[in-house]
Amino acid sequence: MRRRVFLVDDHVLFRAGVRGELSTVAEIVGEAGSVAEAVPQIKELDPEVVLLDVHLPDGGGEAVIAGVAQERPGVKFLALSVSDAAEDVISVIRAGARGYVTKTISTEELGDAIERVAEGDAVFSPRLAGFVLDAFAAGERVGGDAELDVLTPREREVLQLIARGYRYKEIAARLHLSIKTVEAHVSSVLRKLQLSSRHELTRWAAERRLI
Amino acid sequence: MPTLELNRDDRVIAGVCAGIAKQLDVDANVVRLLFAVLALAGGAGVLLYFALWAYGSGRRFILVAVLAVLALAALLDTLGLSTPAVIGATLVVAGLAMVLRRGGSVRAGGSLPFRAAALMMIGAVILLSHTGSTRPFIGPGAAVGMLLLIVGPWVWRLQEERGEKIRLEERAAVAARVHDSVLQTLALVQRHADDPVRVSALARRQERELRRWLYGSGVTETASLADALADAAADVEELHGIRVELASAGDVPLDERVGQLVLAAREAMTNAAKYAGVSEVSVYAEVTASEIEVFVRDRGAGFDRAAVPAGRRGIAESIEARLARAGGSASVWSETGSGTEVELRLPR
Repeated sequence: MRRRVFLVDDHVLFRAGVRGELSTVAEIVGEAGSVAEAVPQIKELDPEVVLLDVHLPDGGGEAVIAGVAQERPGVKFLALSVSDAAEDVISVIRAGARGYVTKTISTEELGDAIERVAEGDAVFSPRLAGFVLDAFAAGERVGGDAELDVLTPREREVLQLIARGYRYKEIAARLHLSIKTVEAHVSSVLRKLQLSSRHELTRWAAERRLI
Repeated sequence: MPTLELNRDDRVIAGVCAGIAKQLDVDANVVRLLFAVLALAGGAGVLLYFALWAYGSGRRFILVAVLAVLALAALLDTLGLSTPAVIGATLVVAGLAMVLRRGGSVRAGGSLPFRAAALMMIGAVILLSHTGSTRPFIGPGAAVGMLLLIVGPWVWRLQEERGEKIRLEERAAVAARVHDSVLQTLALVQRHADDPVRVSALARRQERELRRWLYGSGVTETASLADALADAAADVEELHGIRVELASAGDVPLDERVGQLVLAAREAMTNAAKYAGVSEVSVYAEVTASEIEVFVRDRGAGFDRAAVPAGRRGIAESIEARLARAGGSASVWSETGSGTEVELRLPR
């Protein structure tokens, strides 16, 4: 069954491109170019997955998530961006997006990612995995201790392999785990990232912004 | 300005009162009576009569003004204001009239007639010093006021010009940047329009550069490991028409040893591009407290190390020996059919 997908990006050309590419793997139920356009439409159309640009003219992807999440908790968000700024990506994830992929992703991989997010799993591109490792490393350096504030060695291992370009199946084979277990580790990292309220993540973001 | 026509048909002296009466549509005798009363006030009525006569018969404006002012002074003097105060008030009124006549404005960029302003200032000082109770402050206050009036607009304009200059410089810098990078790339893209691989490599390289400029360290020259790896990746993409997916956690400044690490990583990327037969290579760099690791991975053909001809020195010389000299180590994992991963380590 094709997933019902909504597209939020301020570049009309990019939306047209994605629409064309995804036509075989997903049903694009609507699209918008700004926060103000996106929020009411998503609420009305209730798509399964929203492909969300990190940067929008009237606020970030976070604003879309914040506007929709309360009323439509079932809608899943997947950030899709060219943005290189780690703190922007991390804040969209912390706002509730279930993954982040770069716009250079292949159609097949994007289709997989949409499927995975719709199923409730997390989608970590290599770049996001790097950002997350960086964010948690900064916290561990200053001695975060709460369970939510540190990654387990296994989670770290899984993230490192994602960053190195391994797919879930390959990670499972290499670590002698089931794919389900690998997915569980990634979801757990996502949960920590979203629920951790520790100052280090904020400080990490602030420090990066200053560099 | 309202016009006043002297009424010569119904005149007693020069027809001023009759003219006013006609203008206002009242009995001429009422006006004459009013002037007579005013004449008692230190001769104000007489002076005013002359002023209006001069006005009505089209004499020079200055004559009219002087006569009107004298009339006003005489009137105010009679009402109990001291002569200097009257002169002060007169100067203020004259200054105000001048400002209005010249279309002066206190807005930025407007013309404020300074002579008129000075006249008003002097008038105000004289007026206040003969009526107010805070005499000692009036002199210095006037000086400060004058200074503000003269210097204020000048400082304002200077400030505006400085802001404008900064904006122009920013704009020029952005324009130069866009010209050097984006426009050059667009030109190249047009020239290679029939070569999709090269076009997408160019686009990716440009995207990376722009992104690094917008969100990165902001330094044009490569200054850190992550920046240098991004450069190397872009070069490999452009030269070999493959995609390099680059991720990193942590960063370090570039020095001689880290530079060697980047060169080794670049060699590994090049090998993958040349021999693996894939369209994508993954590169991941992680900086920990004790060491720097770089992984270069592809899902390509893979190879059997033992079967590599001795003449091909890429891995041994460019990667392993290079890192050994820098104090690090390299290991290569490869399996025929499932790809290759090169692991580079450098202690910090």
